[in-house]
Amino acid sequence: MPQFNGIHTQTDILVVGAGAGGLLAALSAKRNGSRGTRVTLVDSWMIGRTGHTAFSNGWMIVACPEDNIDAITREIVAGNDGIADQVLVRKSLEASFERLRDFEGIGMTFARDPEGSYVRRPTRGLDVARVLHPDGGGLQFCWLLRRALETEGVQLIDRLFITGLMRGDDGRIVGATGINSRSGEFHVISARSTVVCTNALTFRSGFVRDITGTGTLLAYGAGAALRNAEFSYVRPGTPSFYFEGITFAIQEGARFVNGKGEKFMREYEPIWGDESDVPRIARAMALEKKAGHEPLYLDMSGVPEHMREYFVRSKVKWMDYFFRKLGSEARTDMFGKTPYFALNQMTKMGVRTGSDCRSDVPGLLAAGLAQAGCANHFAGFHIGLCIGNGWISGQSAVEDLDRTPAPRVDPAVVQRLYDEALQPLTENAQAESDRILRELQQVMFAYDVGILKQADRLEAARARVANLADRFAEIGAPHVHELVRLKETEAMLMAARLILGASLYRTESRLSHFREDYEERDDANWLCWVDLTDCGGEPTYAKTPIPMPYCGASLPDRRPTRLRKQYATGAV
Amino acid sequence: MIEKIEMEKCTGCGICDIVCPADVIHMEPAPETNRVAGLRLSNLAPVIKFREHCITCFNCEIFCPEKIVDVHPSVKNRPRPW
Repeated sequence: MPQFNGIHTQTDILVVGAGAGGLLAALSAKRNGSRGTRVTLVDSWMIGRTGHTAFSNGWMIVACPEDNIDAITREIVAGNDGIADQVLVRKSLEASFERLRDFEGIGMTFARDPEGSYVRRPTRGLDVARVLHPDGGGLQFCWLLRRALETEGVQLIDRLFITGLMRGDDGRIVGATGINSRSGEFHVISARSTVVCTNALTFRSGFVRDITGTGTLLAYGAGAALRNAEFSYVRPGTPSFYFEGITFAIQEGARFVNGKGEKFMREYEPIWGDESDVPRIARAMALEKKAGHEPLYLDMSGVPEHMREYFVRSKVKWMDYFFRKLGSEARTDMFGKTPYFALNQMTKMGVRTGSDCRSDVPGLLAAGLAQAGCANHFAGFHIGLCIGNGWISGQSAVEDLDRTPAPRVDPAVVQRLYDEALQPLTENAQAESDRILRELQQVMFAYDVGILKQADRLEAARARVANLADRFAEIGAPHVHELVRLKETEAMLMAARLILGASLYRTESRLSHFREDYEERDDANWLCWVDLTDCGGEPTYAKTPIPMPYCGASLPDRRPTRLRKQYATGAV
Repeated sequence: MIEKIEMEKCTGCGICDIVCPADVIHMEPAPETNRVAGLRLSNLAPVIKFREHCITCFNCEIFCPEKIVDVHPSVKNRPRPW
C-alpha cells in the first residue's frame, strides 16, 4: 500500500449511498447472499437520519394483489413518454407488495382505514396507480431500515464521502476510496461488487431534499455510460416555504393561476389540467412566464376550510417544525398569495444499466436515482422505483459473487485516488466553491435554459459553464468541509456540461425536455435513450433503442378516470 | 437556518453534530466557563461552524434530547428561482 495513513476495509458487496436505493440494496444483498456474505453500506452523513429519502414523506407506489400491474406499467411507461426501462418498472411493481411486507416485518406501519385496508391515494399524472406512505415519513423509513441492517449484520460506515472508484488491472471495479467527511481521514474499501446509490445530482436549489450525489459522475469517470441527462425534475414551488403536498392539494381543489387570475393549466393540458405530472406543469409555468403573465400562484381557495389544517400540519417531521415555527405566516403563505416558480430540483441523469442494475463496467452496479430506470417518476415512484431497483441490484451483486475473483487492489491506483481526493486541500485557500455554484445555479435554473430550451441559448449556457469550470480549476479548499463541497460542485459542473450537451443532441420535445426550436415529439427518430460516454475527456452522445416488451410508448386514452373523492381527511 | 443552542443547558452529547447532513455543527473542546458540573456528558460543546450551509432540515432541533436547539425557518440562503 502507498505511504499514508488510512483505513482499509475488505468486503464482498459495497453499497454507496443510504437512501431508499442503497438501504434496499444492502438489505437485499444480505438477505439474498449466502451466510457470511459481507455487505458494507457507506454514506456521506448519517445513515438513517440524513439524505433525500429521509427528508421525504416516503410516498411509494405499491401494487397490491388486487391491482392490475399491466395497467400500472402501461401508464407509467406512457407517463414517461416511452423513456423507461419497462422490465425494471414491471419487476419493481411486481415485487412492491413483498417489499411492503418486508417493511412491516421490520416494524414499519402504514395507515389503514377502519376496515383494516391500506389507505391509498392516487397521484398526479397517473390514474390507476396508488401510493401509500409509512407512518413517520421518510425519516422513520430510513431509521427502521438502518436498525434492520444492523440486526442483519451489515457493516455501516457513516460520514464516508466516496471520492473515487478503484479499477483493477482487468478493468473491473474493485471497490472505492473516500474520505471521512469531517476528519478527511482516507478510506480504501475493496469489494467484489460496488453498487452506486448516490441519488440524482442536484444543483442545490435550496431545499432540504436537494442533498446532492456525486456517484453518477464517478461512475462516468470509471467508464460507465450515463443516460437521461436531458431530462430533469423541475417542480412547482416557492422559495418562501416548502410545500410537499401540492399533489394532494390539487386533488382537493387547488389550482394554478397567473397574474391575471386565469387558471391556465387546462389551456396547456386539456385532459389532465392541474392534475398533470410535474414536467407538464413546469412547462406551462415557463410558457406563462414567457408570455409575461407572472406572478404565478397556486390558488388554494378551492381547498375546503376544514381540510386546510391537513396541509399546514405536515406528516414530514421537518416540515411540521417548519410550518409550526412559521406560525400564522405559514397559513398566510400557503393560503394567501405567494408567487410560485418552477424550481429545478434534480437531474434525471443516471447510470445506464440493464434491468438487472449491472452497468457496462464489470463489478459496478447502480440503483436508486443514480440508476436511469425512468425519466419521470411522478409522486410516489421516486421511492417506488428506488425500492425496486435497490432490491434487484442487491440480488445481482450476490449472483456476481460466485463468478468474481477476489479484488486485487493496485497500490498505484490507490495512490492516484488519494492524491486526487486530497490535492485541493490547501491551508491558505479561500472557500470559493459557493460563489461558482451560485453562478452555475443562475445558468442552469434560468427558465429559458432549464425548461424552455433552444440551441442558441443552450450553446451560450455551455460557454458560461466552460468558463466557470476554468475558474473552478484554480481553486482549493482550506478545510475538509469545503473540500467535500468543492467535490460536489465539481460534479455539478460536469453534470451541467452533460445536461446541456444531451439537451442539444435531442432535437425534439419530450417530457421535461422542451425544445422551442423542435416543438414536436418525434417518435420516428427519438423514441430512444440518449446515452453518453466519456471518450478521452469529451462526452460522446449516442442513441440507444428502448426495448418495449410490454407496451408501446403512448396510451392515447390515458385520462384521470378515478373517482373524484376527498382523500385528505381520511386516516392518511 | 440554525439560530442558536442554549449552551448553559447543553450536556455535550453531540447528537446535533451527528445528525447534521450539512456539517454545520461541530463538537469542539468546551471552554471551562461553559462546563456545568454534573450535567455534561463530555468535555465537548457544539459550535455552529458553517451556519451559511444549514439546509433547515431541523434534524438538530428534532433530535436534541434537551430541546435547546433553535432552527428558524428562514429562507435567506436559498438561490434565486429561475
